[in-house]
Amino acid sequence: MSGADTWTARAGRRVRRVLRAAARPLHPRWWLPTVVALAAAAVVWTLVARANPYVLPALGAVGDQLSTQPGFYLRNAAATLQEALLGLVAGSLAAFALAVAISESSLLRRAVMPLVVVLNVTPVVAIAPALVVAFGFGVLPKLIVTALITFFPVLMNTATGLRSVAAPVLQVFRTVDASRADVLWRLRIPSALPYVFAALRVVFPLSIVGAIVAEFSAAGATQGLGTVISVASSNSQLDRVFAAIACLALMGAVLLLLVTALERRVLSWHESQARPS
Amino acid sequence: MATTDQDGPAVPDASHILVRGAGKTYGSGERATTALADVDLSVPRGRFVSVIGPSGCGKSTLLRLVAGLEEPDTGDVSIFGATAREASAAKSIGFVPQVPALLPWLSVLDNVRVLDKVNRRAGRRRREAAGPAVAGCELAGDPVQLLTRLGLGDALDQRPGQLSGGMKQRTAIARAFALQPDVLLMDEPFSALDEFTREAVQLQLLDVWHETRTTVLFVTHSVTEAVLLSDTVVVMAARPGRIAAVVEIGLDRPRRHGHLDSDTMHACEHEVRARLEQAWTDVLPRDLV
Repeated sequence: MSGADTWTARAGRRVRRVLRAAARPLHPRWWLPTVVALAAAAVVWTLVARANPYVLPALGAVGDQLSTQPGFYLRNAAATLQEALLGLVAGSLAAFALAVAISESSLLRRAVMPLVVVLNVTPVVAIAPALVVAFGFGVLPKLIVTALITFFPVLMNTATGLRSVAAPVLQVFRTVDASRADVLWRLRIPSALPYVFAALRVVFPLSIVGAIVAEFSAAGATQGLGTVISVASSNSQLDRVFAAIACLALMGAVLLLLVTALERRVLSWHESQARPS
Repeated sequence: MATTDQDGPAVPDASHILVRGAGKTYGSGERATTALADVDLSVPRGRFVSVIGPSGCGKSTLLRLVAGLEEPDTGDVSIFGATAREASAAKSIGFVPQVPALLPWLSVLDNVRVLDKVNRRAGRRRREAAGPAVAGCELAGDPVQLLTRLGLGDALDQRPGQLSGGMKQRTAIARAFALQPDVLLMDEPFSALDEFTREAVQLQLLDVWHETRTTVLFVTHSVTEAVLLSDTVVVMAARPGRIAAVVEIGLDRPRRHGHLDSDTMHACEHEVRARLEQAWTDVLPRDLV
């Protein structure tokens, strides 16, 4: 069977590609520049920390914080991550649904878009304290801030993506009298996916910003890295502040990695995912 | 071919595609351009008819009217007795646009099958109505066989992004044939291909058409292409878009490479060119005003 041949051939190609990709980071030409840059940054950091301990804490002190109290940082990181992810999911889903709705109804678009634009130009950071007053110190206000930050980029990109189907394709579907649902599911939504992912790449890291801002505003909140940072800053515990910041940076990187991996799977057909061979 | 003996609405006719007195104007006031003026066309079932003319002669507009993508301002269109809207609702129109218009997230095979999943009810009704013994059904009803015949047997699992221009356009043609439509409407499908690819795809199209004998309305701006493929070539003139002449092509079928150079073919090409030129010179004085 030629089917079996192509299957094994494809599997072989895949294995070779994975091996090649796995071997790449082992080559000095691959990792050396990164290592050198990191080392240089560490040296500069240390020099500044020596000269003025109130600008930057010593790297060793930050490391001590993380290694002596891993449970503390993990617990607070988990709290912040939970707020960020819940807000992200809620904001993205709402934005996606609204984008589909306004792409199907121009009446709805004219009604909703001014509101959305007003919401977008309003700094969400300014809304956060009010949300804390309204909803207390729990997860809800943080979730809302994160969702608001996520909402606009996903909405605009999805709306653009849903309109990106080329006219000839729509014509082919029209000549077989395709229903609106068919056009939406089989053409518009798949065409919108690259745009949705472009937005997700932006809002995944932003969601952490949202969660932190909300925690800053909720003075008296008990959990979260934002709370850790604001409490430690007021006590001038710079090593603790930077340990929390390191956790945040790591979380951001992991989220970005996650969305990139997801994108590779879902958008394997798209030219943005073409691998140099 | 072009009949002018009848006014009023087209008489429903189950054996012809009829365009009667079709006119189409874009824009209004001084900026109005008449794309089509009072065009009559009749295509008998099972014929391969090409429409040729200079750019701006309304040949694509004519095709879009038949496809139901646009409504004529005057006159009407009947596809084997049905309106264009009814014909598309019944999935009896196969449309091949100028660009392949494939879905980049689907494989070649799934691109050919995708229209099966759209407007399913009409698809079922067509299959029931057709019954088991319709000529050409076997080839057109099997996407794998159809793609293999068009030279894409090795590319079934590939995505459009991996294909050459010729392969993409052959996939689009397979998608249209796979509908097993009553009429295939093709809008300059080969105009973006290089000369060698174009000749190869033309012959593959003829090969598949020879088995299915679907009625084809084919818009082109290549005289050679029109003559090679068609039973009838309709020559159009511009400003306003109208039918200037109808040339019957008496070449034997099946047509192969040898025919490309025969005297009969050259004679046909010569006649089509002469008609085109005549249509063109008719227009010139108006341009000079």
